[in-house]
Amino acid sequence: MSGAVPKEQLRQAYEARLRLLVPADAAELARLPLIELVPEKIRASVIGKIQRYAHFLDFAPGQVVVSAGEWSDSVYAIVRGAAVVQEPAPDAPWRAVVRGAPSVPAPPSKPVPPRVQTLGAGDLFGDRSALSRFPVSATVSAWTPLRVLRVRLPALRMLTAVAPELRKRLDQRYREETLAHQLRRVGLFAEVDEAALQRLRERAKLLSFSPGQIVAREGTLADSFYLVRGGYLKVSVDVGGADLAVTYLRPGDFAGETAILLDERWPFTLQAVEHAELVRLEREDMAAAVGDKPRLKDRLWQEALARLKTRGVVARNPVASEYLQMAIETGLVHGESVLLIDLTTCTRCDDCVQACADTHGGQPVFIREGKRYRNWLVPTACYQCTDPVCLVDCPTGAIRRAVSTLEVTIDAPTCIGCSNCATRCPWNNIVMVETGGVRKDGKPDEVAVKCDLCLGRAEGPACVSACPHGSAVRISFKDMGAVRSVLR
Amino acid sequence: MRIAAAFRPKQPRVFAAALAVLVLLAAAHAIGLARGRFDPGRGLGLAFGILGAAGYVFAAAYSWRRRAARVAPARFWTQAHVYVGGLAALAALLHTGLAWPQGVIETSLLLLTGWTTLTGVLGVALQKGIPSRLTEGLRVEVLLERIPELRARLVAAADTRMEGAGEVLARHYRQELRPRLERPLPALAYLIEVRAGRDRALEPLRRLSGFVAPPDKARIDDLIGLQIEKLELDAHLTLQRLLRGWLVLHAPPAGVLLGLVVFHVFTWLRY
Repeated sequence: MSGAVPKEQLRQAYEARLRLLVPADAAELARLPLIELVPEKIRASVIGKIQRYAHFLDFAPGQVVVSAGEWSDSVYAIVRGAAVVQEPAPDAPWRAVVRGAPSVPAPPSKPVPPRVQTLGAGDLFGDRSALSRFPVSATVSAWTPLRVLRVRLPALRMLTAVAPELRKRLDQRYREETLAHQLRRVGLFAEVDEAALQRLRERAKLLSFSPGQIVAREGTLADSFYLVRGGYLKVSVDVGGADLAVTYLRPGDFAGETAILLDERWPFTLQAVEHAELVRLEREDMAAAVGDKPRLKDRLWQEALARLKTRGVVARNPVASEYLQMAIETGLVHGESVLLIDLTTCTRCDDCVQACADTHGGQPVFIREGKRYRNWLVPTACYQCTDPVCLVDCPTGAIRRAVSTLEVTIDAPTCIGCSNCATRCPWNNIVMVETGGVRKDGKPDEVAVKCDLCLGRAEGPACVSACPHGSAVRISFKDMGAVRSVLR
Repeated sequence: MRIAAAFRPKQPRVFAAALAVLVLLAAAHAIGLARGRFDPGRGLGLAFGILGAAGYVFAAAYSWRRRAARVAPARFWTQAHVYVGGLAALAALLHTGLAWPQGVIETSLLLLTGWTTLTGVLGVALQKGIPSRLTEGLRVEVLLERIPELRARLVAAADTRMEGAGEVLARHYRQELRPRLERPLPALAYLIEVRAGRDRALEPLRRLSGFVAPPDKARIDDLIGLQIEKLELDAHLTLQRLLRGWLVLHAPPAGVLLGLVVFHVFTWLRY
């Protein structure tokens, strides 16, 4: 989206779209093949529950439904008409990025033409992106006049829970089109041969877990290997009745190596911190895939030893897990770059806020207020989440994260002040500020502002470099070793 | 434990280097004195003067730290300001030959050197001591500018809680407690102990609790919580004001000192 498009025009387009977003009519929903997959006995009540998350949308030929690279939390079912799917060439810059992970594949030696396919009534798209929290991998646009049903994630979860046939269908699509690619991207499977990978793909089970649900319990028979495709899991150990966090798993991480290497019981409990999507591989299948590959075995051994070592540290000194526990409970584990202020050395001089304002045209983009944990203050500043939910549903694409970068940024000229991102941010780290202008409807003009890590500033975030006492630090909760050393 | 840790030098190497320079300066001065008559306008005396003046200029440039962020982060400039400022004061002292100066300008220079050094040391002590006290001793963390707003909220919350209270408690609240909740009550005692006066302030409410009806007892418990919060706001108000206010004692005299140094150098060159 270009900044050259007048804001008022963008706003009108958004409002026009909002007018179309009326909750889907129950009778019309009931006639859809997607809903017919729900057992008849509970269909009416399910429709009642999902209605607020389901909307019919109409598109004229050529209009884009979803664009490659954008974040979406919805699955789309074509009601009538046809759509064209254009999957860019593998070297296109937005492709194959797990949220936040700098994992752009090397460009192929020969340019590959984009793949095009068509979809018709009854077809689904967007499900893999919504469930796995990947950016949308292809642009889908209307070929003929198109009517689609947009079903948002909460409704999709409800539907997959009550309609095994739908779940099976989505899993099948994921297994056929995404799983092999995703397995390859996990370093562990990089050298597994094609035949073994094919077998893993066929035999893998795709599982969903709700927040708080136990995936594997410490001491039980370890017969599976888990790969996280979406969400977060807490890895904990029971010490004298206390459940102590040892580490956590994020998309792309795995667990179950001890089952393959040692034929041991689970040394940890795995618990879903939020909605989690996992790939489960049977112990025998994984053992066969690992076979006699020494490098792969080494990698598993390294992981197993590191985790057992951390387990030992936590068991001996429960305090060692306190920051991890705090990070899991407060959601800081999502943070790729979290601003923390050590209150024992902070002189409350506000140089950080002043420097932030200086860098952002006089408007600071963080507030030196927030949750306090021991001597650390977690100010109201964007965490630059691994899974930035604020990116979903921006009507103008003003909020974005470029590939292989950390910074989630807002383009002020294209932001129409709809506050979708601010509402979605679970940590309230995006604030709406008045620009001083007035909209056509007489309301004050607003834009969303958030920390962008002072993008483009050679010295890095101004808040950190301007702190005269070194009290402000930025840390990524990906690296718990670093977190422990900073927060000790 | 943390308070003690806060007073440790952040960069032990820089601290050691500054100590080494200090010893070198003192040794050079001692050698200079031993070798004959000391003259502030020549040789070693002049060198001390140049060092001192250069140090003052560098220390005064601290206000440009944000612009100099490309060279080094602000914490580097803070450390440099403290150590170079301290060593500049020592060099200025050695420049006088440890003798009381004759002229008005020279005397003013020496007095201002002493004042800015002392207020600088006071600033370091406050900046090292207060944050850890605030953090260790208080539950509330607040922005200085928001204290009046939060105080007003506390009063509103207390007023709401007091609706329907018995006469004794209502009178005590109206005459004694509410005015204390409403007014900012900064006290230097917070510098010594951030919870200073807490027991004394809560005592009347605790006593009242012994002879009021059970619903009012619950009200008193809530009022105690609100009053503790107000006392913490007062502690923040006092200590955060001190953290900012000490600069008034340091920065303007330092500006005058720099001006006098320039004048002193000019007159020395001219006459």
